[in-house]
Amino acid sequence: MRSRVLGAGVSAFALLAAACSPAPNTSAVPVGSVGAPMPAEASELTSAPSSSASSAPSCDPTASLRPGGLPAAGQMPAGSTMAEIQARGRLIAGVDQNTYLMGFRNPFSGEIEGFDVAMAREIAEAIFGDPNKIQYKVLTSEDRVAALERGDVDLVVRTMTVTCERLEKINFSSVYYEAGQRVLVNRTSGISGVDGLGGKKVCATKGSTSLAAVANHPVKPVAVSVPDWTDCLVMLQQGQVDAISTDDTILAGLAAQDPYTEVVGARFTTEPYGVGIPKGNEDFVRFVNAVLNRMRGDGSWASAYQDWLNTLGPAPAPPAPRYRD
Amino acid sequence: MTTTPDRVSAPPRAPRGVTRLAGTTPGTLTLLALMMIVVSTLGGVISAWSVQTRADSLEELATRSEPLAFAAQEVYRALSDADASAASAFLGGGVEPAELRSRYQTDIAQAQSALAIVTDGGAQAPELAEALHTLSVQLPVYTGLVETARTNNRQGAPVGAAYLREASELMRAQLLPAAERIYRAENANVVRDQDASDGLPVLEVLFGLLTLACIVVAGRFLSRRTNRTFNLGLAVAGGAAGLSLLWIVVASTVVVLGVADSRTDGSAQVDVLVDARVATLNARGDETLTLVARGSGQSFEQHYDEVTTELGGESGSDGLLGRAAAAATSQSVRDAVNSAVENNRAWREAHEKIRQADDAGDYTGAVTLTLSGEPGNAAAAFDQLDADLVRAISEARAAFAQEVAGARGALTGLAPGSLLLALLGAAAAGWGMWQRLKEYR
Repeated sequence: MRSRVLGAGVSAFALLAAACSPAPNTSAVPVGSVGAPMPAEASELTSAPSSSASSAPSCDPTASLRPGGLPAAGQMPAGSTMAEIQARGRLIAGVDQNTYLMGFRNPFSGEIEGFDVAMAREIAEAIFGDPNKIQYKVLTSEDRVAALERGDVDLVVRTMTVTCERLEKINFSSVYYEAGQRVLVNRTSGISGVDGLGGKKVCATKGSTSLAAVANHPVKPVAVSVPDWTDCLVMLQQGQVDAISTDDTILAGLAAQDPYTEVVGARFTTEPYGVGIPKGNEDFVRFVNAVLNRMRGDGSWASAYQDWLNTLGPAPAPPAPRYRD
Repeated sequence: MTTTPDRVSAPPRAPRGVTRLAGTTPGTLTLLALMMIVVSTLGGVISAWSVQTRADSLEELATRSEPLAFAAQEVYRALSDADASAASAFLGGGVEPAELRSRYQTDIAQAQSALAIVTDGGAQAPELAEALHTLSVQLPVYTGLVETARTNNRQGAPVGAAYLREASELMRAQLLPAAERIYRAENANVVRDQDASDGLPVLEVLFGLLTLACIVVAGRFLSRRTNRTFNLGLAVAGGAAGLSLLWIVVASTVVVLGVADSRTDGSAQVDVLVDARVATLNARGDETLTLVARGSGQSFEQHYDEVTTELGGESGSDGLLGRAAAAATSQSVRDAVNSAVENNRAWREAHEKIRQADDAGDYTGAVTLTLSGEPGNAAAAFDQLDADLVRAISEARAAFAQEVAGARGALTGLAPGSLLLALLGAAAAGWGMWQRLKEYR
């Protein structure tokens, strides 16, 4: 085709070429807006998840089992859950690697660290005499109860609130920290607390008590659920949500990563953290409670607080244990 | 054919004129001459057009659809590798190793460059518009997320890992599927051009034979009516028609065989090998992301199992690699595929060790096994497997290019040649008949 055009003379060629060659399509550049990238499995909640307050039977959740004496490290009583763990050679702990200060992966070392992780290491120390005999399994908020029910982990220390609903499926240790839900916003947002969140998009992790509290709050925020807490910070930084609402411990960790955010408002819930343990392993619950008791007494709880949570203020007294026997 | 005489004589009186003419010897001679001229010219035009179409398809195949399919494959490969490199760099902890960083940057540059080629070539294809749009709009978003992840990592902020996960989600949910759609479409164009260029020359042969038949009929009529057995014009016309027919048959045979070889020695193998390479890259990404997820990566590990089974079957030597080995037609491709099978086995063994270490609680050991380039470890086996597949793909592509070039060469000069021969035949036949017609004046 081109050779024929050439043969027809230069002027004809120029004319024809102009007519035949596709004009670059400059008029319709089809970019209106670019869909913002989303964390995997992020979704806006259309119906409120079941709340522990409304659906579960009432109980006294924070009363755990009274501890017995603490056996010497490396000498767990035969037939006990601890003896099984000792025979395996390592404690399998369900933790988080995305919650700065509580359980997070240190980007420099690749190691998992934090206040929750310090509790788990103390329990490993009590069993083996060596805090490093521990295997971490990273769990999302949603996975925690299921992992315990399947027996994938010996215990879960992951900012886990003791609730009656969860107590039906798993055991909890005595309370090792008492947090409360607050709100994290951009400093310029003008939002001063949970009451300013009406109609705003508020992020929390799937399966957390925080998400239920947000979705059921009377000012009616729009709850957005993601797998991990840092996913919430990503969405806040990208302007896809207006606020993050969860325990002050977690929010402090998020605020520490972004100086343009601040934690606002008063606590509007109380979140007592317990160590999750599979149903049936009552001996292990008593053992863990004994370890927690020792930590309360010998200053190691306070030093763990000092290591990780001092941004929240000076170390308070550790929560007093309550038992149902 | 029945309408052609109408067009030659005056239209309104044509039917009666034709029947009257056919009744006389000069009339028959005239009709035969016209018929030969028309059939020969028409045959020449049709042959030239058909040959040109075939040559155009081959040119499209060699210069456009195959290079575009390769560029599209390169987009997919580079993106997939970039994602695996970013995940590996993160897995190591600390500041990412320089070689992984530069591998990531090279991948992004290659993806951009290949994307520019594909966009340029696919600008007219509306079915690709959406996928191309996704790639060109979301790739900068992806790199932005990776850089944000890196900045946060360097500040020691765990939110960096969340940015990396978001980037990986964008890659796997949007960019890679778009790149795959483009590759499938470009590959379909290769098949289309092959189908368009390896048809049998039915029309050309039919007209060639018809022309020869007309000449034979005219020659026999002449020898019966005029007692002259030899007519130079008809002889030249017959020679031209025969030569043209022979040329077309031989050239077309070469093309058909060449295109068939370009499938078996080239594109069919490239197809399987590219699938194998995509599976390899996916498996490496899954292997790394399983460890990045640290205990909650079951979905990655499941996907790893799926793609490795696809890659090597249960034994490691079946699946795509087995099909590639069976399809290999040259020693160099066979060697590369055999080496790939060996490296795939080594990788699987290394992966077993990684899983054992991780499942036994030795996370640090598992990470070392995954990232270490020492022989027998996963990174080394993966790199070699990938290199083997690259070698096999480039060998098969070279074979493809050679076969297509051979086919194109066979058509050189055929389109103008067959047209010229047809015109020569028509002129000679007309001239030969005119010599006899003159005697009736």
